[in-house]
Amino acid sequence: MSTDENLGFQSGVPIPGLNPPSNQFGNAFCGAGSGLIREGLGAYGKRICGSSSQYVQSNIIKCFSDPQYYFQVNAHYVRNKLKIILFPFLHRGHWTRITEPIGGRLSYNPPINDINAPDLYIPFMTFATYLVLAGISLGLSGKFSPEALNWQFVKGMASWLFQAMLLKASLTSLGGGEAPLLDMIAYAGYTFTGLCVAVVGRITLSYAYYLIVIWTSMCSGIFLAKTIKLTLYAEARSYDVTIHNYLLLGIAFSPFPFIFCLSNPTGNWIS
Amino acid sequence: MAKEAKQFAIPPVVFPSGGNPSAGSNIQQRRVPTAPFQPPRSSASSIPFMSFDIGSAAAASTSGSFYGGPIGSGSSSLPGGTGFEDEEPLLDELGIHPDQIWRKTKSILHPFRVNPDLHKESDMSGPFLLYVSLCLFQLLAGKIQFGVILGWIIVSFFFLYVVVNMLAGRNGNLELHRCASVVGYSLLPVVILSATMLFVPQGGSFVFAVAAVFVLWATRVCTGLMVALVDGGDEHRGLIAYACFLIYTLFSFLVIF
Repeated sequence: MSTDENLGFQSGVPIPGLNPPSNQFGNAFCGAGSGLIREGLGAYGKRICGSSSQYVQSNIIKCFSDPQYYFQVNAHYVRNKLKIILFPFLHRGHWTRITEPIGGRLSYNPPINDINAPDLYIPFMTFATYLVLAGISLGLSGKFSPEALNWQFVKGMASWLFQAMLLKASLTSLGGGEAPLLDMIAYAGYTFTGLCVAVVGRITLSYAYYLIVIWTSMCSGIFLAKTIKLTLYAEARSYDVTIHNYLLLGIAFSPFPFIFCLSNPTGNWIS
Repeated sequence: MAKEAKQFAIPPVVFPSGGNPSAGSNIQQRRVPTAPFQPPRSSASSIPFMSFDIGSAAAASTSGSFYGGPIGSGSSSLPGGTGFEDEEPLLDELGIHPDQIWRKTKSILHPFRVNPDLHKESDMSGPFLLYVSLCLFQLLAGKIQFGVILGWIIVSFFFLYVVVNMLAGRNGNLELHRCASVVGYSLLPVVILSATMLFVPQGGSFVFAVAAVFVLWATRVCTGLMVALVDGGDEHRGLIAYACFLIYTLFSFLVIF
C-alpha cells in the first residue's frame, strides 16, 4: 500500500481537526494514555508555521511561542538538567539564561547551548514516566485497570496545567507578562521529575516514602524559586521586594501539595 | 475449431446498428456459456433484460440484434467494460499485500538486525492484524480491552509522531502514516508477550522479567526503524528510544496486570 499522502504532510504538520481534549472522556477511544494533549500543542505550533491566516497567527502567537525551540535538546542536556532539577543546591554555575542578539532582538539560546533554558522534552517524558510508574504502583497493589490509569493521566494533566497557570498568573500580576506561556508550562512540568522519584519511593518503601516526598518537593521548590527569581528580575517592572519574596516563598512551597497528592495513585477520579 | 473449455473468452459487444465484429465467426463456435447464472433464453423472447455481457453477447449474436441495445448500455455501465479478469484482485485493490505483511512481520522477529528498507512503504493492514490478534489474546485471558488498546495505540501514534518530528528539527519528515506503521509493526513482541502470558502462572517476578525482555525487544526494533527512516534521527537515538520504551511499557501493563 503506497503511503497515503493525505495522512501526513511533508513538513510534519499533523492532521488538522484534532479533537479538543475536553470532550474526549466519554468516548471509547478516550482519555487514554499520555500523548493527545501534548500533540495538540505541537499542532498549534506547527500551524503557526504552516498557516497563512493572519488572524490565527496573531492570536495563537500571542499565546504560544515557537515550540520547536523547546525540543532542541540532546542527551547531554537532558542528563545535566535532570541533575539540576533533582539536586538544585549542587549547581555550581549561574542560573541566568544566555541571550544573544538575533535579528536585532535579544533572544535566548536554545536548550542545546544553555543548560538553564527550559525545554519541553523533559516535562513530557517525565509525565509519561510518572504514568508508567503510577501504573506499576497500581498494579502492585492490585488496583490496576486501564480506566485507573486514564484517571491518573487526567489528574496529572490537570495539576500540571494548574501549576502552570499559577506560575503564569503570579508572574503576570507582578508585571512580568512577557514570559512565554510555554516557559511556564515547562517549568511546571519539571516538578514531575520529583514526583517520579516520590512514586519510586512509594513502590519500594511503604511509609518512609513521605520523607522522600518532602525532600523532592523541597528540591523542586528550590529549583522553581531560583528559576522564577531570574525571570522576575528580568521582566518585572515593579521592584517591590517584599512581594517578590513572598511570591518566591509561595512558589517554593507549591510543589508540595501536588507531589503529595499525585504520588499516591488510587484508581478513583478524586483523591 | 478450438473448444475453449475453461476460458472466459471475451466476446465483443454487439451494437444494434453496427454489424457483427470481425471475430463474429468465433462466437458461433463457443458452446460453453461462461456466465453461470445466465438463464436460458429463447431467441424469440421479446423481453429485454440486462445481463452480464459475457454470455449474453453470445446469446445476442444468436438471437439477433434485438438485445444489442440494453446489453450495450448494460455493458457500458460496468467499470471494466468487458469482464472479470480485467478487474484487479480484491486484495490488490484494497492495498493489502499478504506477502509484504509477512515479510515485514518476519523482519521484526530479529531484534538485532533492523531492516528499514522493507518498512519504507508504510501500510496499516499489518498493524491492524497485530492489533486484532493482541485483542484476541487479551480476550483469551479474560480481559475485554478492544477499545482501550485501540485508543492507546492511536494516542501513542500521535505521541511518537510529535516527539520524533520535534526532536528531528526543522527537517523532521516523519509522516503520521509511516509512524503508525512502524509503531504498529513493533507491537509484535507485545502480541507474543500476551500469548506467552496465557501459559505463565500469574504473579511473581518471573512475569516482570519476561515482560521486560519483550518490552526491550519492541523498543529496540522501533527505535532502530525510526532512526533509520527519519532524517535527523541519528543524534537523538537515546531520546527516541526512551519514548518508545514508555509506549511499550504501557502496553505491557495491559498484558501483565
